[in-house]
Amino acid sequence: MAICFTAVASAQTADEIITNYFEATGGYDAWGKLENMKMVAKVNQGGMEIPLEIVQLNDGRQYTKISLQGQSMYQGVFDGEVLWNTNFMSMQAEKADEESTMNQKLEANDFPSDLYDYKSKGYTVELMGTETVDGTETHKIKVTKEPTTVDGEKVDNVVFYFFDTDSGAIIMAEQEITQGPNKGVIGQTMLSDYDEVNGLYFPFSITQGVKDGQSQPLLIESIETNVEIDESLFAFPESGE
Amino acid sequence: MKKLFGIALALLCAHLSEAQEEIVLNGKELFGDLQARQIGPALMSGRITDLEAHPTNSRVLYAGTAGGGVWKSSNGGASFTPIFDQHAQSIGAVAVDPSDPDKTIWVGTGEVWTRNSTSYGDGLYKSIDGGVNWKKIDVFDKSERISSIEINPNNSNEVYVGVLGALWGDSDVRGVYKTSDAGATWEKILYTDLKTGCSDLLMDPTDPNTLYAAMWEFRRTGWDFNSGGENSALYKSTDAGKSWNKIHNGFPEGKLGRFAVALAPSNTSILYAAVEAEKNADKGLYRSDDGGQSWTHLNKDFELVVRPFYFSRIVVDPKNPDIVAKGGFLGSISRDGGKTFRNLGQMHPDIHDILFDNKDSDRIYAATDGGVYRSWDGGTTFEIVANIPVSQFYHISIDDKEPYNIYGGLQDNGSWYGPSRSPGGIEARDWNVVGFGDGFRVEKHPTKDIIYTEMQGAQNVWRISTETKRTKTIQPLPKAGDPKLRFNWNAPMAISKVQPDRLYIGSQFVHKSEDMGDTWEIISPDLTTNDPKKQNAEKSGGLSVDNSGAENHTTIFTIAESPLDEKVIWAGTDDGNVQVTRDGGKSWTNTIANISGLPANTWCYHIEASVHNKGTAYAVFDGHTSGDMNTYVYKTSDFGSTWTSIGADNIKGVARNIQEDYVQPDLLYLGTEFGLYITINGGKNWNRFTNNMPATAVHFIDLSEKSHDLVLGTHGRGIIIIDDISPLRQINQLVLQENVHFFDTKSTIISEESNFGSTSTEMEFVGPNPNQSAKIIYYLKKRHTFGKMKMDVYDSEGNHMIDLSPGKSKGINVVTWNYRIKQPKIAKGNSLTFGGFTAPRVPAGKYKVVMTKGKETYETELELINDPKSPLTSADRIALHKTTMELYEMSEQLAYLVYRIDETIETAEKVVASGKSGKKVAQPILDDLNELKATLVVTTGQGNYVGTAEPELRGKITALFSKIASGFEKPSASEMENFTLLKTRFNDAKEEYEKIEEKKVAKMNKLMKETKLEPAVYKSFDEFIDN
Repeated sequence: MAICFTAVASAQTADEIITNYFEATGGYDAWGKLENMKMVAKVNQGGMEIPLEIVQLNDGRQYTKISLQGQSMYQGVFDGEVLWNTNFMSMQAEKADEESTMNQKLEANDFPSDLYDYKSKGYTVELMGTETVDGTETHKIKVTKEPTTVDGEKVDNVVFYFFDTDSGAIIMAEQEITQGPNKGVIGQTMLSDYDEVNGLYFPFSITQGVKDGQSQPLLIESIETNVEIDESLFAFPESGE
Repeated sequence: MKKLFGIALALLCAHLSEAQEEIVLNGKELFGDLQARQIGPALMSGRITDLEAHPTNSRVLYAGTAGGGVWKSSNGGASFTPIFDQHAQSIGAVAVDPSDPDKTIWVGTGEVWTRNSTSYGDGLYKSIDGGVNWKKIDVFDKSERISSIEINPNNSNEVYVGVLGALWGDSDVRGVYKTSDAGATWEKILYTDLKTGCSDLLMDPTDPNTLYAAMWEFRRTGWDFNSGGENSALYKSTDAGKSWNKIHNGFPEGKLGRFAVALAPSNTSILYAAVEAEKNADKGLYRSDDGGQSWTHLNKDFELVVRPFYFSRIVVDPKNPDIVAKGGFLGSISRDGGKTFRNLGQMHPDIHDILFDNKDSDRIYAATDGGVYRSWDGGTTFEIVANIPVSQFYHISIDDKEPYNIYGGLQDNGSWYGPSRSPGGIEARDWNVVGFGDGFRVEKHPTKDIIYTEMQGAQNVWRISTETKRTKTIQPLPKAGDPKLRFNWNAPMAISKVQPDRLYIGSQFVHKSEDMGDTWEIISPDLTTNDPKKQNAEKSGGLSVDNSGAENHTTIFTIAESPLDEKVIWAGTDDGNVQVTRDGGKSWTNTIANISGLPANTWCYHIEASVHNKGTAYAVFDGHTSGDMNTYVYKTSDFGSTWTSIGADNIKGVARNIQEDYVQPDLLYLGTEFGLYITINGGKNWNRFTNNMPATAVHFIDLSEKSHDLVLGTHGRGIIIIDDISPLRQINQLVLQENVHFFDTKSTIISEESNFGSTSTEMEFVGPNPNQSAKIIYYLKKRHTFGKMKMDVYDSEGNHMIDLSPGKSKGINVVTWNYRIKQPKIAKGNSLTFGGFTAPRVPAGKYKVVMTKGKETYETELELINDPKSPLTSADRIALHKTTMELYEMSEQLAYLVYRIDETIETAEKVVASGKSGKKVAQPILDDLNELKATLVVTTGQGNYVGTAEPELRGKITALFSKIASGFEKPSASEMENFTLLKTRFNDAKEEYEKIEEKKVAKMNKLMKETKLEPAVYKSFDEFIDN
């Protein structure tokens, strides 16, 4: 499967590295035709295994469903207008604060990736140089998106992607945490285990954490693309469930 | 064909020879998942050198530190985060661009508070993304100390940099530099001479062409400090630095020292200057009300004249030109334009900078030798910021307890010890203070609960019993016939591995005690050069005499007794001797002449006597106090007859310490001014360790024999531990050639400790604990990016225990398993049952780990062992595990039973809906099953907190399961009685369901068959569990 990725001549621009990434992982056009994806995964917290179902649609709608003891809880559900979560104490849906919702709306055009067709979204990219990640040489690319709002103030929304110089695959993403007690700390996402799903290559191992700190692997069991989705799940349940 | 074959063969040969080539990995390719653990402490913090505010956003401020880099607060100083870990950690100045304050930040490295122990910087850095990425500006590589950065508020491209420059030698990289193109090119616009640097630079914010520059003539050596000279002066430019005029109208004549200058932002014609002059009467605070054209002497209070080399910062309230504060021993503030002062509120002494909030002058921040302090009441009361672990250790040692303790002495913050792990994390309350003043060497008695600590110059050496809390001072005292004893500021102490009660202390002599310091014997002649030119410390200071003892020289600095032969003792001196005795001190040999490539009189900073060979020792030398920043690392294998350099060109920073590995003789750990370096081949190649390891000065290294942890005492980032370095011992060329190599790991003790967590408050620093899980450690030749890679654990009978997420990094990967299987599947109810989230432990034993990478599988084994200190018998453990797993099974059986009930209810509901005859057979089923179900799981209530209903059988089983599974006791009689009760209730419920199924459901099924309704299809138990 590694043959799918081909090393590309050096002295690339940021744009070439990004284009090459999409071409090598299934083709730019094929990524553009992706309508949705559904991921079944689990995380392990202190021995407790938590099964997740993550659904993302190309119009920005999304949800993460957590199933525990036969109960379903939802996190980060977005229907295009309202962002909501299940409160674990009451098991009722609650709307996220206005600022989080506004920031989520900005992400709505980031499917399948913020890098995809980044120019039309008004994002800028910059090749920062090479850096060793996981013992491997990578191109570091800075992506600047629309500013988000944090505690009433506009802040830069910058993501750094690290592309394996050999294969062109993204193996890490970094983003400064801009709110909460970890504000200022660099969040890190490690990507590996790329595998094919209907002609597109997805990382089946995603580990999220903070730079030089704790991290949490997401064990992905399956990814499906362009599947039928129960559209009723995204809307905020006004009466509560 | 033949030709083709030939080519193929040639290619094959080329490939083979390539495969056998030596693999040399750099640090980032080798160390992989090995991570440093920064445990602080932060309760006493460390020296802060510079504070900088965001011009408009009061939430944002920066703190530059003496040895711990730059820290940023985004919450008004409640807490700080480090943002400069990859670069020199000694900070002179931090500046925020007033036109682009969220993004453009400049950092000038190299502290300007030029005490004896100050570190040094390596230039100027700029970030254009708020401190996430930094770019070094090359012109300033040799600047050593940058005092000021001034940015034109109307033009970000125009920046002025004040370079104080080299402290210990001549340098022409000094003075004021200017860029007009945002840092691309620079021009030196003010320069005095090789000895005089710019100690402060100001820009008038209302007229950026007006600049003030303070120039200071100064020099430090290992034995002297001089502040002041003919060339110290204050200059003003009104043409953006093209021309400069001395502005001394009103200042004293003669030699001058360091100036502290400030202008009032609310009225920029008002300036304040603290002046160091020849006469005491002329020293102190001057004020100008005409932009420096004339000066009036106002005040010479202690706080305004004390130690100008250490305290030269004046700050004026941004709104009121008459409120002026000055750094000092305690710091002081005037509210009458500098006429009178009162001390700032109580905080750690030695105030280096003060910052007023731009919007609210009641909010004041102070930079001290012991951290950042905040005041909410204009400086009357202060509180410390409790999460900046920039403590500056001179020395550390560890003991052999479990968990082991770390002992060490701190710059201006006494001596301490604390644990390597603690319930809830290593927090402030875990640290114990064991000495006053500046703390240096701290040694633990090898067998008794006794600690030896000292303060500067061995003025006091304490022997402390941690058991009886008794303390006695035991420093060697002169006896008849002894010359004056010369102790270094940081005097060496050493213990013996052979004689536990033995203690060594070094002056110019080696002092030895065999009774823990009650009796002392001098066992050497003067081992130093005894150069009288270097023995005038009491006159040190220049215009302000500074007799602190910090300049005591021609002293012994390091002592090491061979762990293999107590008669072999090494002593290294600050004036460059390396002496050895092989007869317990009767005769000494100076081996310094056998070291080539080392400049004469270079400070011997540390000698490490080998544990592998008594003739072997390592010595590191530090020439920075003569302006020599090279790294000197040497090894001898013949008692010093010959020495070989084992350093390398890629090592940056003067060497401070070296530690030999106890197992692999070619594995060495080197601490330099810019971090930690490791060699696995005796010094042929050195790798810098950067995983969560800042570029901070590593002053001392110790290695735990039991846990194989490498413990670093840093001079700026506290204690840093790399847990279990044993994989490094196993790396060799054969390993590096393998695609996957599992390292041998020690058995994991199943920890039986439990705790209720920490007591720290929200913003206090808490050092992380080591991970006590089982570890699977392996080397990957190449990062895994494509295709599945998984890891499964099996018990000795081949039963699957758990799947883990393997690391993918090239180099060393560490995967942890907390020796638990996943939690049981729990019956579906109307709320969550928290006991059901308990993941039970597996018993001690050997487990097989299978890693699948693409089509290949790789196997290793790990072993879990019970804590040998545990009071449990093996019968207790069997009972514990058996009951735990029976309850686990019972929970899952109950889940299955509830599943069957739910499925049957669903079917019955359909049948009821199908018509009258259906209702007749199915309604009784619904009635019975709903009634039964309500006894098994919660079917009412809402949520998981106050709305939840009373627990039913499910909650009771999981509660007992969790209670027993979480503990380390044989199930008690009470628990077993409860277990029997629950078992009976579960069996009864099951029987009842079976009865309903046998009779009523059978009848319903018959009807369904007749009416062609789909009967219920149940999953088997195994299918249900797996889904």
